[in-house]
Amino acid sequence: MSILVKADTKVVVHGITGRIGNRQTRLMLDYGTKISAGVTPGRGGEEVWGVPVYDSVSEVIEEHSIDASLVFVPAPFAKDTCFEAMEAGVKLIVLITEHVPVHDAMEIRAMANAEEAVVIGPTTPGIIYPGKMKIGIMPGNMFCPGNVGLISRSGTLTYEIAGNLCDMGIGQSTAVGMGADPVVCTSLTQLLHMFEEDEETHLVVIVGEVGGTEEEKAAQYIKREMKKPVVAYIAGQSVPPGKRMGHAGAIVERGMGSAQSKVRVLKEAGVKVAERPTEVSELVKSILRRGL
Amino acid sequence: MRIHEYEAKKLFREFKIPIPRGGLATSPGEAHRVAEEIGLPVTIKAQVLVGGRGKAGGIKFAEDLGEVRELSCELLDMDIKGYKVESILVEEKLEIERELYLGVTIDGSRGCPIVMVSSEGGVEIEETARNCPEKIFSREVKPSQGLRAYQARKLAKKLGFKGKPMLQLAGVISSLYQVFKSYDALMAEINPLVMTRREDLIAADGVLEIDDSALFRHPELGIEAQDRIPDELEREARKIGVSYVNMDGDIGLICSGAGLGMATMDMIREKMKPANFLETGGGMTRELMAGALRVVLKKGNLKAVFINIYGGINPIHEGAKGIADVVREENVKIPIVAKALGNLQEETWETLQGVGIKVVKETQTARAIEQLFRTLEKGCG
Repeated sequence: MSILVKADTKVVVHGITGRIGNRQTRLMLDYGTKISAGVTPGRGGEEVWGVPVYDSVSEVIEEHSIDASLVFVPAPFAKDTCFEAMEAGVKLIVLITEHVPVHDAMEIRAMANAEEAVVIGPTTPGIIYPGKMKIGIMPGNMFCPGNVGLISRSGTLTYEIAGNLCDMGIGQSTAVGMGADPVVCTSLTQLLHMFEEDEETHLVVIVGEVGGTEEEKAAQYIKREMKKPVVAYIAGQSVPPGKRMGHAGAIVERGMGSAQSKVRVLKEAGVKVAERPTEVSELVKSILRRGL
Repeated sequence: MRIHEYEAKKLFREFKIPIPRGGLATSPGEAHRVAEEIGLPVTIKAQVLVGGRGKAGGIKFAEDLGEVRELSCELLDMDIKGYKVESILVEEKLEIERELYLGVTIDGSRGCPIVMVSSEGGVEIEETARNCPEKIFSREVKPSQGLRAYQARKLAKKLGFKGKPMLQLAGVISSLYQVFKSYDALMAEINPLVMTRREDLIAADGVLEIDDSALFRHPELGIEAQDRIPDELEREARKIGVSYVNMDGDIGLICSGAGLGMATMDMIREKMKPANFLETGGGMTRELMAGALRVVLKKGNLKAVFINIYGGINPIHEGAKGIADVVREENVKIPIVAKALGNLQEETWETLQGVGIKVVKETQTARAIEQLFRTLEKGCG
């Protein structure tokens, strides 16, 4: 099994007629994702790669059953789109969009809690169930099926680490990008919990980075409740305080969120922490060899 | 993005938060005029976009007009943590009875705003949090409900306020939350909120950091985030649409993705020194990559450029063309090592190799950095 998605999860793509939505829809279809419909207001009745386009989610659900929403719309419309999907009863939303206003992210998260929906992102590469399907933008050729759960705050670094694991013959059960904004809608701890419950996952890899306190919170959960081994890497050891490193959330300030503090608390919780990305696959290999 | 104190105070006033009488000046003459108008003594404060201004000598007190001119000159000549002082705020000097702290910020892990109040104003809130955390009272705010008036009163009471001053303080707390919410702030802070000898509450200072991603909703502010960046290269990169951080080394860096960029920077640091951090984000085009390489090359004395990109959301084959354009046009002589993987990687490699760029096809960034290091060693020997 996988977390959050199944091989036949049915997806609606919001913003399917845009440049990125169009291209990524093609790539997902090629990877095996079941895309039932797309939504672009004002473009209802068209088709993209054979996928029917509707003006709204409510029109989609009249004709299709939908398990997940994938959102590519521009940042100013992200909140509205997530609200629309949740109101139509969609329980899993993957919000790829970058630069979503933080106040909007807080409202999306609050509504997701109220509706018992899961929103991944914003600024996430999405979810991939290697070899089966993906809801997102990750290049399929960097992943392979297996038993490592992968959670990441970064997109491209996830590809690298998944690629390293595959090179050593270690596949992934599911890889999830949680996003790297100051407020994300699903926490690292929630995702760890899902992997802890997932039978197919034997070990979890966390790819963290400077900023925020997600890793610190997760360390408490790992120490208290997790039985499965956890390996982590934290990017940004050489980041100077007060400098924002690309991601809106990647900033060390007010004495919080440094790589050193994250590494320390994770180690205290029994997590094996890699010094460099390359070391992740080596640590994973040695743990799996010992355990199996 | 942080805005200036005088700008923050203007917004505070819109929401009925009392601020000191005063005015902005960009010359000693103007400062003189403001001081004459509001009366002496005055406080003169450098307007810079960084914290710790007081400790850096950016706040002065003047008793007479001669002093106003002299101190204004001094301040307008200053450079505080890389920010040149271009304007000063001249305000009435308050008669302070006590100083409080008010702040609204975002608790990322709880995903909601948090309001903080403390009886210890005038010192950094981190210091209070460390030394006497029991003197900070805070509460979460539900994003959909906002801060209710009774919640603000409760916080005011926790600071020991009663009667009319309690209501007045609660009003300021509510207003500060309104400013925070209305202007998409990441942080709104009044430190100190002064209670004068006449029991009036006045915001002696004001910090407002606005979410860059929400600036599109606030054209009324007339602020372009890029204009507020002091570093020239960082400002230029921002205009192109990439994140650039100027650093002190000599290896230029271009990465797609912030996490990958930071990891790459960490690894380069083991043996070499990065000249910059540059992250393209997910909107790569031929022009964007050309612009990115141009910004990186603008910094003189580079030994090499290292490129680390993935084709996920980004069309790296298009980006590669932009890189090749610049290498050809500017006749770039320093070595460029590139690692590019993902969708359309083969086409990307071909374009890069076509202009003499060393392409590394392995997954491990560490290997690519070794290749970079070896290339440079050869160059030196």
